[in-house]
Amino acid sequence: MNAQPHVRLRNVTKRFGSAIAVNDVSFDVAQSSFTTLLGPSGCGKTTILRMVAGFYRPDAGDIFLRDVRVTDIPPHRRNTAMVFQEYALFPHMNVAENVGYGLRMRRVPSPEAGPRIAQVLELVGLSGHELKFPHQLSGGQQQRVALARALVVEPEVLLLDEPLSNLDAKLRVRVRTEIRQLQQQLRKTALYVTHDQEEALAISDRIAVMDRGRILQSGTPLEIYHRPANRFVADFVGLANFVDARVVAAGRVEARGVTLAITDGAPSGPVTLLLRPEAIRLHRQPPAHAANVLGGRIAVASFLGTLARYWVDVNGMRWTIDVPSPGDQLLSGEVFVEIPPDRIHILKE
Amino acid sequence: MAADPGLLLTFLGAGAVLGLFVLYPAFRVLVYPSLNDYLSIPQSLRWLQAARNSLVMMVISTLSATLLGLVFAFATTRADVPGRRLFRTLAMLPLFAPPFMVAFAYILMFGRQGLITKSLLGLNANIFGWHGLWLVQTIAFLPLAMLIIAGVLEAVNPSLEHAARNLGADEWTVVRTISLALARPGIAGAMLVVAISVLADFGNAVIIAGGFPLLATEAWFRMEGMGDLKGAALVVAMLLVPTVLLFFLERFWVSRRVYTAVTGRGSRIARPPTPPVLKWGAVGVCTLAGVMILLVYVGVIAGAFTTVWGRDWSLTLDHWRLAADRIASLWASVRIGVLAGLITGAVGVLVAFLTSRRLPLRQVLDFMAVLPGALPGVFVGVGYVLAFNATPLGGTPWVLVLALAFWHLPMGYQAASARLKQIERAIEEAAVNLGANGLRVLRDIYFPLLLRALIEAFAVSFIRAVTNVSIVIFLITPGQVVATFVILNMIQNNIWGAAAALTTMLLLLTFASIGITWTTVARVVRTPGIA
Repeated sequence: MNAQPHVRLRNVTKRFGSAIAVNDVSFDVAQSSFTTLLGPSGCGKTTILRMVAGFYRPDAGDIFLRDVRVTDIPPHRRNTAMVFQEYALFPHMNVAENVGYGLRMRRVPSPEAGPRIAQVLELVGLSGHELKFPHQLSGGQQQRVALARALVVEPEVLLLDEPLSNLDAKLRVRVRTEIRQLQQQLRKTALYVTHDQEEALAISDRIAVMDRGRILQSGTPLEIYHRPANRFVADFVGLANFVDARVVAAGRVEARGVTLAITDGAPSGPVTLLLRPEAIRLHRQPPAHAANVLGGRIAVASFLGTLARYWVDVNGMRWTIDVPSPGDQLLSGEVFVEIPPDRIHILKE
Repeated sequence: MAADPGLLLTFLGAGAVLGLFVLYPAFRVLVYPSLNDYLSIPQSLRWLQAARNSLVMMVISTLSATLLGLVFAFATTRADVPGRRLFRTLAMLPLFAPPFMVAFAYILMFGRQGLITKSLLGLNANIFGWHGLWLVQTIAFLPLAMLIIAGVLEAVNPSLEHAARNLGADEWTVVRTISLALARPGIAGAMLVVAISVLADFGNAVIIAGGFPLLATEAWFRMEGMGDLKGAALVVAMLLVPTVLLFFLERFWVSRRVYTAVTGRGSRIARPPTPPVLKWGAVGVCTLAGVMILLVYVGVIAGAFTTVWGRDWSLTLDHWRLAADRIASLWASVRIGVLAGLITGAVGVLVAFLTSRRLPLRQVLDFMAVLPGALPGVFVGVGYVLAFNATPLGGTPWVLVLALAFWHLPMGYQAASARLKQIERAIEEAAVNLGANGLRVLRDIYFPLLLRALIEAFAVSFIRAVTNVSIVIFLITPGQVVATFVILNMIQNNIWGAAAALTTMLLLLTFASIGITWTTVARVVRTPGIA
């Protein structure tokens, strides 16, 4: 990865009327990286993407592509091809014409454009569909045409606005893997927008979690998941059990009269503990040589195939606990809950 | 995106053109009579009679046409009704007939010399008068009602009917509480549209109403018979009150109450079966009405080949020779129709594009583009006489061309607007994102996607222009006598054979243009996916 960021936002603010869509955001996208803006609807992620594309002009702040300030460059002069949520394929043009449109705008002579169109269609697995019209293609195929149309112009940055939201669940997983492979193969810088945290974790080099116009945390998927900066990020990405506690001594917290050992360091005082469902273990018998074992009672059990999910009442709290590869029998009744000290994350807010 | 100066200039230009050719003539009509003239209306017995008669016809013809339209709409939207495609085609036929043709055909069929009344049944029937007009208007405006109601019935999601069955409703109750209940706004909308058409109906009334005074025909009698331009303006102004009221009632009240669209995803499952009594009842009514519609075409075509209608039933081609002498009028119709169609299409698409942009005052432009739909043809005719006869345009065919073009503007404009709404904003953005500037977007995206709307607007405007009578009779110039004017004169002078022959030619012309439009659209327009 190159040291200089490929896309830079500096103190960018965008208002729509009185509503602030993007609030003083600064943020970098590294060269050849796959970066995802993740957040609930209305958090400003699409607005950022559209400002990079040039559809919106920031009210304050600047956007750079490498060293070039692009804030005032109109959208058709930027080389930031976008894959739209609704694909936006031109209904009156066939696949080859759709894919070739950007090349036509760039006045690429047809002896050169033809092979480039063929090549990119090959890349997305649509060779032989050149003469079909968008309505003759399946949703997945339309999605690939949209991707090919953006890739063929060799954009500086590839922008993707929730490109998978119109596909069914199975196809979504397949196409996202394909998009990731293509991006790595072509070493394209990609900026991706989604509200689906699982998708973001699966596909990204880096994730920026957004809420109400601000970026709350950016980092690798592992960092975001295991070391969320605050309760919103922890709650939005993955499932979370939150426990109000007090740090009583180095390596010890107290929650509802129970003392737990932790490895995370924190100054004494009130804290929130984050326990991921898969970080907690369940036992029928009290485990030997284990720290942090509590008694609990299973309230609801749900079999999800690769794992079993339990809602367990522990000391007046209800926790979600995932147990991988459940056997033929689900647990029930009284159980013992073990929380390994190194799996307790302290949220500092 | 910021409005560029070119767009703004075009916007202002379009506003000026619509102001001149839509608002100005209407304004001229309304201010031509003095306040005293308006105040003296209640003293004129003839006008009060005409007003009352027009309202009575509006009520009875609207009720009967809407009722028949509802039956047709019901029959043609239920998959299990036999012959539904045939019924739909039959019910559409009056739509393509010149606006006087139903009356003309029914005189031939049911008049004193009528094939059915006199020759088959031996009756001495008089079809002239309100009852003849009622029958004629019922058949003539049935297609309008059917199309509107069928559109709403089709949109009723079959799942709703299944849900009602599932919750315990029997098949009759489903039809009553779901299908027809959901169609109520459509029925109301159809009634308003039909009512406007009945009030404004000039062609049928002038032929078959006889001595029965009506507002639409009175204007012409005033001007033609007495040269009373002020009287004509007064009468069409009186006619304008109910049509504008009905028009805005439809546009701002009924059309917002259509709730069939709220039911989520479209569904392709079949509807529950139609109750047999209802099904066969509808088939019976449709068959009867279908025969009446066929008689319209059969009557006129037979009339063109019959030596002396009612007396000598032998076949002849003499009428065609007489009609051929007046063939120049047909070409004049075509010339005027082509020009009017081109203007309607171009202005309609342009204004639709402008009102789709986020420009200030675009509602004003939209208002002017739909307003002609509220104006009766006779009103537009008188308006153009008052507005343009004293200008350099006066005496040229252009007054007629412009009157027809702008009267039909709402059709072109609304078709193009509907089309534009289907084009997602993201498609324009995708083109810009790939490097297209504003002009390229217009050329590469909007023009091809609107081409179909443009061609269809041209075709509709053309067909309606060549078959028009209500405007033509006011704006005809000696150098450009058009076919409908000639036909009208022939019918009134009882030259039925030649009138029938010329009408048949006009029909051939209409159907040929429909055929040409279809093939052109199929060849030129490359958007098979979005109909």
